[in-house]
Amino acid sequence: MSEVAIVGFGCSGFKPITPELSYKELMFETAVKAYEDAGINPRKDVDVFITCAEDYLEGFSIFDEFVPDQLGAVLRHLFTVSGDGMLGLATAYMLIRTGHFDTIVLEAHSKASDILTYIDIVAFGLDPVYNRPLGGHPYYIAGMEMNRYLHDTCTTTEQCAQVVVKNKRNGILNPYAAYGANVTLDQVLCSETCFYPLKKLEISTPADGCIVMVLASEKIAESLSDKPIWVKGVGWCTETPSLETREWTKAVYTRMAAEMAYKQAKINNPWMEIDFAEIHDQFAYKELQHMEALKLCDYGEAGKLLEDGLTNLNGEFPVNPSGGLLGMGYGLEASGTQKLLEVVLQLRGEAGRRQIPNAEVGLAHTWRGIPTATGVVAVLSNVKR
Amino acid sequence: MSIEKITNPFDARHWIGHMEADYMYTLGVVGERFFKELKENGRIMGTRCPNCSIVYVPPRMYCERCFAKLEEWIDVGKKGTIHTFTIATIEKDGKKLEKPVIYALIKFEGAHGGMIHKIGETDTVCIGMKVEAVLKSPEERKASINDIAYFRPTK
Repeated sequence: MSEVAIVGFGCSGFKPITPELSYKELMFETAVKAYEDAGINPRKDVDVFITCAEDYLEGFSIFDEFVPDQLGAVLRHLFTVSGDGMLGLATAYMLIRTGHFDTIVLEAHSKASDILTYIDIVAFGLDPVYNRPLGGHPYYIAGMEMNRYLHDTCTTTEQCAQVVVKNKRNGILNPYAAYGANVTLDQVLCSETCFYPLKKLEISTPADGCIVMVLASEKIAESLSDKPIWVKGVGWCTETPSLETREWTKAVYTRMAAEMAYKQAKINNPWMEIDFAEIHDQFAYKELQHMEALKLCDYGEAGKLLEDGLTNLNGEFPVNPSGGLLGMGYGLEASGTQKLLEVVLQLRGEAGRRQIPNAEVGLAHTWRGIPTATGVVAVLSNVKR
Repeated sequence: MSIEKITNPFDARHWIGHMEADYMYTLGVVGERFFKELKENGRIMGTRCPNCSIVYVPPRMYCERCFAKLEEWIDVGKKGTIHTFTIATIEKDGKKLEKPVIYALIKFEGAHGGMIHKIGETDTVCIGMKVEAVLKSPEERKASINDIAYFRPTK
């Protein structure tokens, strides 16, 4: 079976607003960069195009019909995955592994600033009969989950706040990040408690941006790129949608997705065999909860590792060197591709001032946000083996 | 392009759209019975899986663990324990709530699931706290999850 590599990317950068571009122009400009990077002509050289988008977030029904033209995919072979960009990666990976496809374009974007009632759309993700009639801001679910997580693991509110300090600081070094900043632990802890114990600064802010990636089979990867980044394994999993019966302490969906990816990538000890990780941190506590689910440490230990500086940019195992979603901005369905992008940049040695020396293996993880329990994990390497 | 940057998206030429989406969500066999019991008899019911020995609240027709069809109904009572909670201080539009709202997941004794609801008649709340459902009067009930007004600490 063919190995799969990421051989090119384009990124618009993430910004609070993008009033100068329509979503189509944002995608077009990003796609041009990706095709330039991989040295391909989209009208001739691409077997399949995959876009990842959710109708409600786009303001369309049947949004997949509105994507071919700006990608150079008119009358080509295209489909949309209604989910996070890393679910698109999983699909692209499988297609190439069949041996029938050599070049695949993967796209995900966020035009969050076009959405005038984003939180209403999130609330529409709740069960219409048992949960939605209660009303209120749906992030109360994150507050409830954080509360139970802290209760069961003895993780502290200071440790959660420290995630924000670390990630926003990393974000300063990332030119693609919208919200890099030097914030202090006190500033985070003193920000409003919106959903006890969750603080305002612990909630990532949405951002606009687009990422396009070009994936290729083993046969042509090395001819398209002198730095192909190999996808060593991808896993995904979804917990029950029922808030009443799901697990509230552990991110089981991420654990199962990780086990699937690790098995393919032959990873037995993730902390030792992987050099760094990009982990979904829409809410600060989720970085810690997800670290544990990813088997980077024992259950309840992530807060301590963070506090000891082990997950800092210069630590033993950097987590979210990009600045994470807290620093980069929450790119909605592009979250997973934000994670992938940083892994690609680090493994290519193109991460600039936040470059992790000698990085060989990186982990990308995503979650579909409140109120979902879907996770995707990918292990990537710059060594083919 | 103008030299000045646009800092308010509404300053850029745009078109305002509105997505109309009204639905009627069918409750189904199990929802029908659950809400009938709640409205008419003031009871909270669950369904039991004979294989896994777990009781689903809210009830369902199938077990999400073993995929068996569930037919045994159980009254789980109105008393439960707070599995987790939060105190919301902002509304959906980001404005500060006049009075914070406490949301909790209440687990019923002997049941696998529970209910997400509001907590009332108290300002202090903790994980593990025993609470009971306060139902609206029979005339006020509409076969909705809001037929339960809120949960309060058991007396």
